[in-house]
Amino acid sequence: MENIIEITDLKKHFGSVKAVDGISFSVKKGELFAFLGLNGAGKSTTISVICGSLKKDSGEVLIDGIKIEEKPDEIKSRLGVVFQNSALDKPLSVYENLRSRAALYGITGKQFENRLGELTELLDLKEILRHPVGKLSGGQRRRIDIARALLHSPEILILDEPTTGLDPQTRQTVWAVINDLRKSEKITVFLTTHYMEEAAEADNVVILDAGKISAEGSPLELKNRYASDTLTLYSVTEDEVKSLGIPYNKTHDGFALTLKKTADATALITKAPHVFRDYELTKGKMDDVFLAVTGKTLNA
Amino acid sequence: MKTLRALIRRNVKLFFNDKGAFFTSLVTPLILIMLFITFLGEVYRDAFVSAIPEGVTVAKSLENAFVHGWLFSSLLGVCTVTISFCSNLLMVSDKVNGSRSDIDVSPVSPTVLSLSYYIASAISTLIICLVALVICFIIMAFSGWYLSAYDAIMTVFDTVLLVLFGTSLSSIINRFLSTQGQISAVGTIVSSVYGFICGAYMPISEFAPAIGTFISLLPGTYGTSLLHLHLMQGVYKELDGKIPSEAIEGLKTAFDAKPEFFGHNLNEGTMFAILIGSVIVLTTVYVLLCKKKAKKK
Repeated sequence: MENIIEITDLKKHFGSVKAVDGISFSVKKGELFAFLGLNGAGKSTTISVICGSLKKDSGEVLIDGIKIEEKPDEIKSRLGVVFQNSALDKPLSVYENLRSRAALYGITGKQFENRLGELTELLDLKEILRHPVGKLSGGQRRRIDIARALLHSPEILILDEPTTGLDPQTRQTVWAVINDLRKSEKITVFLTTHYMEEAAEADNVVILDAGKISAEGSPLELKNRYASDTLTLYSVTEDEVKSLGIPYNKTHDGFALTLKKTADATALITKAPHVFRDYELTKGKMDDVFLAVTGKTLNA
Repeated sequence: MKTLRALIRRNVKLFFNDKGAFFTSLVTPLILIMLFITFLGEVYRDAFVSAIPEGVTVAKSLENAFVHGWLFSSLLGVCTVTISFCSNLLMVSDKVNGSRSDIDVSPVSPTVLSLSYYIASAISTLIICLVALVICFIIMAFSGWYLSAYDAIMTVFDTVLLVLFGTSLSSIINRFLSTQGQISAVGTIVSSVYGFICGAYMPISEFAPAIGTFISLLPGTYGTSLLHLHLMQGVYKELDGKIPSEAIEGLKTAFDAKPEFFGHNLNEGTMFAILIGSVIVLTTVYVLLCKKKAKKK
């Protein structure tokens, strides 16, 4: 797969603050890419540079092979952005909002009505089209934000913490919509999130800390590299667990052993198969990866 | 062009939908109406009556035309500027509530965006002021109508010019604002102060000479004076021959129909030239500011 976003040695400083300090990464066409970091890590600055809202100090940003400073308007037409906080006009109806935003891309009249029809079906907007945006629920508003970002059929959808502040059910709904979109529109999704379980679904992850990249790779690679596996043994005696020679913790139902890698579990099973009457192997979580990489936890 | 039209429509709708901004813009005219009802109306009526020599009777409708002419010209003079300031605050609230970030990620040109705020503000203000002007004309038609066709047309023209003046001035000032606090501060200052400095709450001739001189340096003053002149000229013409010309000149001077600039009387043409010139200069400054910003981006 070819890269749709390529960033090389990007720097952006605000006075003495190095918001983005020489980062390089790429995003492949059609993938779900997660960009993680604490507040102030440089995620929003990077997104603003990609969107053309902020000038970079140095480095190169290519969108589908085009330098952002060379054809900024063309780049903007390829990007759809869902902001953390809804940026639509609350007093106006959903229809009025979408019509005025579509016009920013030169989409008006029949062309707008056609695209609106597609998005209404895709995002189930029919019932709320005439409602003022300010009167919609959090989940409904998020759907409208996504519709607004998709009005001009962008190739890349940038989601800046799209589910922060939403209840679990609405988060699920939003993700169902995003996953449908990835299937139906073959869109590249560039995601920033505070929810590690969302990042775990990504094809690739970059973790940013104080303007620099601390780690990158697929969730599996990162888990293997930075997080430990947990082997839980049930229906065994403590002496049997001790005989394995691995540090353990007693849990309510059994014993939990922390293993550096999955292969260690295979070796244990081969060495003492009689101990493995009932067991469970759990891979490390993205939370553990984030903690190991940055030394900090992400709180939504 | 389609984008510009869509943005103008959005901006106008947003202003009329935002009850807070809409009512803030009406604070000054409401203060003026309250002052008029409570005491100013009587003060102006007394001033008019006292200028009429004993033994001369003038129709009640003429008295009404004088008092209403002053009130309505003051109202329009204030509304045109304060409403344009408030409607143009949309360019700041867009920055505050994040809409501007959303617009900025689209390929819309900064010039088109700036132009859309300018035109939308002018349209919103014009709609309100022209509706107000029609209501004023209706009241005057029933209470005492002494306007010539020329005066009526010129009143509409004055209103349009003052709206453009207010829009261009507010476009420049609001361009430098970016927080909710600044929005409130500017809205409050303009709403409370402009009525005084344009000679709407009381005639400039009533101010201390130093303040009068300062006010004479502000171009908006001449817009209000033009409105005073056009809405009250018919009354002065009607009085001609009925009372001594000195008394008429005294009324004209006292009620700002003959404003002075460092001792020189300004005629209608000069006042128009000042106002039109100000609109051109302010609009040019705004366009240059927009171009500078677009270049920076």
